[in-house]
Amino acid sequence: MEVYDYPHFCLQAAVCLLTDVKNGPEIRKKIVQAATCQGEEGNALRDAVNFAFIDARLITSILHLQTAIYYALLAQSQECLRTKTVHSEILWALNPSNNISEAIRRYGLSDSTTSLFVVEIGAIPSHLDKINAIVDGTVSPFARLPEITDWGTIRKYHKLNNELAIQHIEDTTVANAMIDEIVISTVAMKSVSQ
Amino acid sequence: MATASLIINSTQISQGAEAKVYKSYVHTSFDSDAKVPILLKHRFKKQYRHPSLDTSLTRARVAGEARALLRCLRSGVSVPGIRMVDATESVLGIEWIEGKSVRMLLGGGAEGEDEQVLDPDQSFDDTTDASGESVSHLDPLEEYQVTIDGVMGLIGSEIAKMHKADVIHGDLTTSNMIIRHPFAAKGPSHTKLVLIDFGLAYTSSLVEDKAVDLYVLERAFASTHPDSEPMFFAVLEAYKNGTGKDWTAVERRLEDVRLRGRKRSMVG
Repeated sequence: MEVYDYPHFCLQAAVCLLTDVKNGPEIRKKIVQAATCQGEEGNALRDAVNFAFIDARLITSILHLQTAIYYALLAQSQECLRTKTVHSEILWALNPSNNISEAIRRYGLSDSTTSLFVVEIGAIPSHLDKINAIVDGTVSPFARLPEITDWGTIRKYHKLNNELAIQHIEDTTVANAMIDEIVISTVAMKSVSQ
Repeated sequence: MATASLIINSTQISQGAEAKVYKSYVHTSFDSDAKVPILLKHRFKKQYRHPSLDTSLTRARVAGEARALLRCLRSGVSVPGIRMVDATESVLGIEWIEGKSVRMLLGGGAEGEDEQVLDPDQSFDDTTDASGESVSHLDPLEEYQVTIDGVMGLIGSEIAKMHKADVIHGDLTTSNMIIRHPFAAKGPSHTKLVLIDFGLAYTSSLVEDKAVDLYVLERAFASTHPDSEPMFFAVLEAYKNGTGKDWTAVERRLEDVRLRGRKRSMVG
């Protein structure tokens, strides 16, 4: 787990990579339950899943995730969130289109998710224990991300297959570095994209 | 207000007529010391404009610059990546590129009176003193492992890629091109030359606009570097190879533009 400090927002972001996640469907059920349940009980449920759960297959680099986090923090500070919470805003920022449910479907937790980024934004992010209580997986170093990333799907979602930048590059590491740069920039300029 | 306090804690690098440029750090981690700098370009408020006009103009320019950069990236032009956009506070955050402008590299000296380099606080770029004169004992070309011809070739081919994507830079000068320091290159295949400052960029597929873009660069070469003719010829040669069949039209138009200047005649 890494904690990033954003003193100008008076906020921090805790990011944790979990691999070999076994209870994907179960976590999803909990999130849906938390969203629909009302009253005191609902608050407790919501508190337990108050994270951004992001499918690690669609993250190209840590900077990619950081850029989305930064976007969400900025949107929150300017009171122009497009979604209900700062955590869902991260998912929305990652998706190239403006469709919220599509963003959550693609970048959020799905039943097939086995590697997961868990992000918590707060004044002082809570402990790893709270994440472990929900997710049944192994906490892994970020260095493992390159073996998780699914470049084919990222190309498809960002419509990069016909782009000149990538078309003529045969070396996959070079092409992937290029995709990473495009994807990061797309996230960063989310607020002014047409 | 968050971005404003980020700027307060950043180091100012340089100032132009439109914007101030800062070096800053975000995503600082508690666990590791790895710090990646970013460059912030803040388009400050212009007192000479009506506030509401100023707001909308500045906002459009920040957004336009970001869009032009992304368009270039998607077309494989070597430009800095975007890191953050705050159109409300007119700040654009882009990738920090460790290197030197082509102008400096060719011994063109620092910028003129309109722009001043305040503090080139860059670990590699310690070769300039306050007056902007080179005090390095090492030949910068050697330090950057490039030749003049090599640089001209890169300039031509990057502009060709950019024009193929129908992006017109609008302010092509040797100061708006940076050669990455060999230490900061991401790999042997990484392009060394980076085009910067897309503040005046726009999209157009007109031959006229592309020819004028080249003409602006030709004039910039002539006014900043002695013996620029063979240099610019090498740029055009590489541009020709990069554009292919579109070259003949641009070449013919460039001839016309040379005769009449940048502005089209309004007579007739």
